Amino acid sequence: MITALLLGTLYGLIIGIIPAAGATTGLVILFGFLSYFTDPYLGVIFCMATVAASTTGDTYTGVLLGIPGANSSAATMVDGHPLAKQGKATYALTAAITTSTVNGLLWGTLTFALLPWYMKLMMVFGVPELWAFTMLALGCVGFVSNRFWVRSIIAIIVGTLLGMIGVDPVTNADRWTFGWDYLADGIQLVAMCAGLFAIPEIINGLKEGEATTQPHDTSGQTWDGVKATWKYKWDALRGGAIGAAVGFLPGIGGGVADWMGYGATVAANPDEEFGKGNIRGVIGPEGTNNAQKATSMIPTVLFGIPGASFAAVLLGLFMYFGFELGTIDLAYDTKFFDSLTYGFMWGTVLVAIICIVLNKYICKISYVPYKYYFPLLIGFIIWACTRYTGGWEDYAILGCTSALGLFCRKYKYSRPAMLMAFILATKVETLTIQMTTLYTIETLMTRPIFIILMIMIIGLFTFSIRKNKLEYA
Amino acid sequence: MKKLLALCLMAFTTSAIADYIFVVPQKPGGGTSQWAQIVATQLEPFLGEKIVIKNIPGARDIPGFNEWHNEMRNDDKIIMISHGGNGIAFLQENVDYDYAEYDSIGLMNLNIIAGKRIGDEMSPVKFASGSGKVPEAYAITLLLCGPGLTMNEYLACFKENVVWVNGMSGGERRLAFKRGELNGTRENPASYKKHVASDENAELWFHHGILQADGSHADDLNYPGFQLEILFEERWGVAPSGEFYDAYKLAKSFRDGLQKALWVNKGNTNTFTLRNALHEMSMDPDAMKAIQKKVGKYEWMIGEDGNAQVDTLMTFITPRALINLIHFNKDALGLASVYKESLFE
Repeated sequence: MITALLLGTLYGLIIGIIPAAGATTGLVILFGFLSYFTDPYLGVIFCMATVAASTTGDTYTGVLLGIPGANSSAATMVDGHPLAKQGKATYALTAAITTSTVNGLLWGTLTFALLPWYMKLMMVFGVPELWAFTMLALGCVGFVSNRFWVRSIIAIIVGTLLGMIGVDPVTNADRWTFGWDYLADGIQLVAMCAGLFAIPEIINGLKEGEATTQPHDTSGQTWDGVKATWKYKWDALRGGAIGAAVGFLPGIGGGVADWMGYGATVAANPDEEFGKGNIRGVIGPEGTNNAQKATSMIPTVLFGIPGASFAAVLLGLFMYFGFELGTIDLAYDTKFFDSLTYGFMWGTVLVAIICIVLNKYICKISYVPYKYYFPLLIGFIIWACTRYTGGWEDYAILGCTSALGLFCRKYKYSRPAMLMAFILATKVETLTIQMTTLYTIETLMTRPIFIILMIMIIGLFTFSIRKNKLEYA
Repeated sequence: MKKLLALCLMAFTTSAIADYIFVVPQKPGGGTSQWAQIVATQLEPFLGEKIVIKNIPGARDIPGFNEWHNEMRNDDKIIMISHGGNGIAFLQENVDYDYAEYDSIGLMNLNIIAGKRIGDEMSPVKFASGSGKVPEAYAITLLLCGPGLTMNEYLACFKENVVWVNGMSGGERRLAFKRGELNGTRENPASYKKHVASDENAELWFHHGILQADGSHADDLNYPGFQLEILFEERWGVAPSGEFYDAYKLAKSFRDGLQKALWVNKGNTNTFTLRNALHEMSMDPDAMKAIQKKVGKYEWMIGEDGNAQVDTLMTFITPRALINLIHFNKDALGLASVYKESLFE
C-alpha cells in the first residue's frame, strides 16, 4: 500500500513537473501498465496519489519556466514566473505548495470522508435526474468553460457522434462502424484522451519547452513562503472554495477554477498591482487546483459523470480495475472509498513534504530541456494506446484522434467539451431511452430535483447566449 | 521514470516466459476477465506452469472468440475462456466460432436468479433489456401469459405486460431496481446474494434451473421451489410446453449451461494435462472457495462431462426453436438477431 502511494506520488510529481504534461497525460500513460496492478485497490491508490502529486508538481513549470504544465498552473504563472525572475522562486513555490496542500487536505477531507454518505444521493437521483444532470454537464462544459460557444457546440456534436460509434443500445447491432469490426466496441477512451489532450500538449511543449531560463539561487525562502500563505490565508481559502464549487459542477476543468481564483483575488485587492510578481496572485489560484481535483470526484464517483478531463481518464482506468463508477456496487465497497481517500490525502501530504524538503533538487528537474522528455512521453502514450489490441488499428485511431486534437487546439474548438460529449454520448442516449420508456411528462413533473435541474439548464443556456451575444457585439 | 521503464521491460519478459495463455474475449475488469484471473491463479499450482491472461476486447465479446477460432486455436498452449453471452450469440449472431469443433477442458453449469420488488403488482413488469436477458423475457412471458398460446399471442402478451427498458448496464440496472424504477431484475448467484437477497425490499421471483445430462432442468437447491417450470405449473395447473417453451429452453440452456467455460481445439496435446489439473483444483476446498466467491456455489463439469454438456445443448437446436427465438428477439425485444441455417448443416 505504501509502495503504491509512494510510486504514485513520485510518478505524479515527475509528470507534473514536465512541461505540458499533467494529471490527464499521466493517467493516460497508466493504461499501458494496467496488468501490473494485480490488486485493483492499489491501482486506485496509485492513481489518486498521481492526481494529487501532479497537481502540485504542475506549479514548478508555471513558476520556474513560465510554461503551464497543464491548465492548472496557467493562472499561477502570471505572478509566479515574475517572482522567479526576481530570484524568489522558492518563495513562490513554497507559498503555492502550502496553499495547494492546505486546500487539498481541507476539501479532500470533506469530499472523501463524506463520499460514502453522498452515495445515498444515488437513491434520490433516478433516471430523469441523471439525464438532467448529464445534460447540465454538457451545458457547463459547452458554455461555461469556453467563451467560443458556437465552436463548443460543434465540438459537442462531433464528440457525441464519435461517442455513438459502436453498438446500438436497442438493437444490439453495430452502428456507424462501416463494416470495420474494430469500431464495433467504439473508439477507445484512452485513444480519445491521448489524441485530444496528451499528444497536442506534448507537441506544443516541444515548441515552448525550449524557453528554459537559468536556475536562480533560491535558498532561504521556504519559511517566507509558508508565512505568506498564513498572512494571505483568506485569499487561499477563497481560492479553495471557488475550486471546490467548480469541481463539483460536472465537466468544468481546472483551468476555469484557477482563473476564477486568480480573478477573485485581483478583484478582492483592488489597490494592489498584479502580474509583476505579487505573491497573492500565486496563492489565489493555487488554492483552487487541489480543492477542485478533490470535489471533481463527487460527480465522477456518484454518477459516473466526470468532473473534469482528468476524471474522465480516471473513469476509464477504474473501469479496467473493475470499479464501475456511478453504480450501487460501489456503495458496499468501503475499501474502494478508503483507497480513494488514502491515495489522495496521503499523496497530497507526501508530495508537499517531498517538494518542500527537496525543493532545490526538484527545481533542477524543471531545467532539463524538454527535448529529452519528449520522446519518452510520446513513447509511453503510444504504448498505452496500443495495449487495446496491439494491432495497426490502435495506431490508426490514435493518429486520427491526435489529428483531431491538434486541429481543435489550433482553431480553439473546445477539447474538454468534445471529450465530455464523447464520454457522455452513450449515457445521454441510453438515459433518454430509459426516461422515455419509464416516465411520462406527468410523472416527470412530480420530481422536484428534475425540475430544478431543468431550470438550471435553461438558465445556463439563456444566460450564455445573451452574454455571448453581448461579447460578440 | 526508471520504474516505468522497468515495468515496460517486465511486460515483454512476462509475455516471453508465459507457458499457457487464457484468451478472454473482453476488456480487463469485466466479469469473465475477473473470473479467468481467479481460475488462473488457483489452477497454476496444479498445472505447474504459468498462466497469462490475454484480453481481446470487442463488441459483445465476439471478436476475441472469433480471433481465437480463426488464428490461435491450433496453438496447444492457448486456451479459450468463454461465457454465457457467447453461447447466446452462437445461436443468434453471425459468429465464426463453433463449439462442436472444440474439446471442453471444463465448464461451470450455472443458474441465473431473478428477483422482484416486494409488494409490487408487477403490472406492468419493468425489466432491463439486453441480449443476455433473452431467457428472462421468455420466462416472464410464460409466467404472465400461461400455456397454449401461439407465438404471435405470446409476443402480443409480452408487449402488453412488460416494459423492456433498453440501454442499462449491470450497475445501472441494480441501482434502478434498488430505487424501484425497475420492479424486476436478474443476477448470477453471487451477485444475487450481494444485491438482491440483501435488499429488504426485494424477494426471490424465479430461477431457470440447472441443466441436467438428460436435457431436463432440475430445481436449484440453493433456491428450492422457485424454478420457472415449478412456478408455472403451480400457477397454471399444467407443465410448460410448446414452441415458445422450446425456444426458451434453447436460449437459457446455451446461456446458463455455458456460463463459464474453458476450450481447446480438438486434438490439443495438452488436453489431458489441463483436464487433470482442473480436476485436482476442483478437489481443493480453498481453490473452490476463491472461485465460488465470484460466481456462487456451483460445480464444475470437467473433461468429457463438458463435451457431453455441449452434445446435450446441440439437441435443443431445432429449426422451429431457432426460428421462434429469432422471431421473438426481433419483434418483441427489438434485437437485430439473425437466423443461422448454418447451425443445421
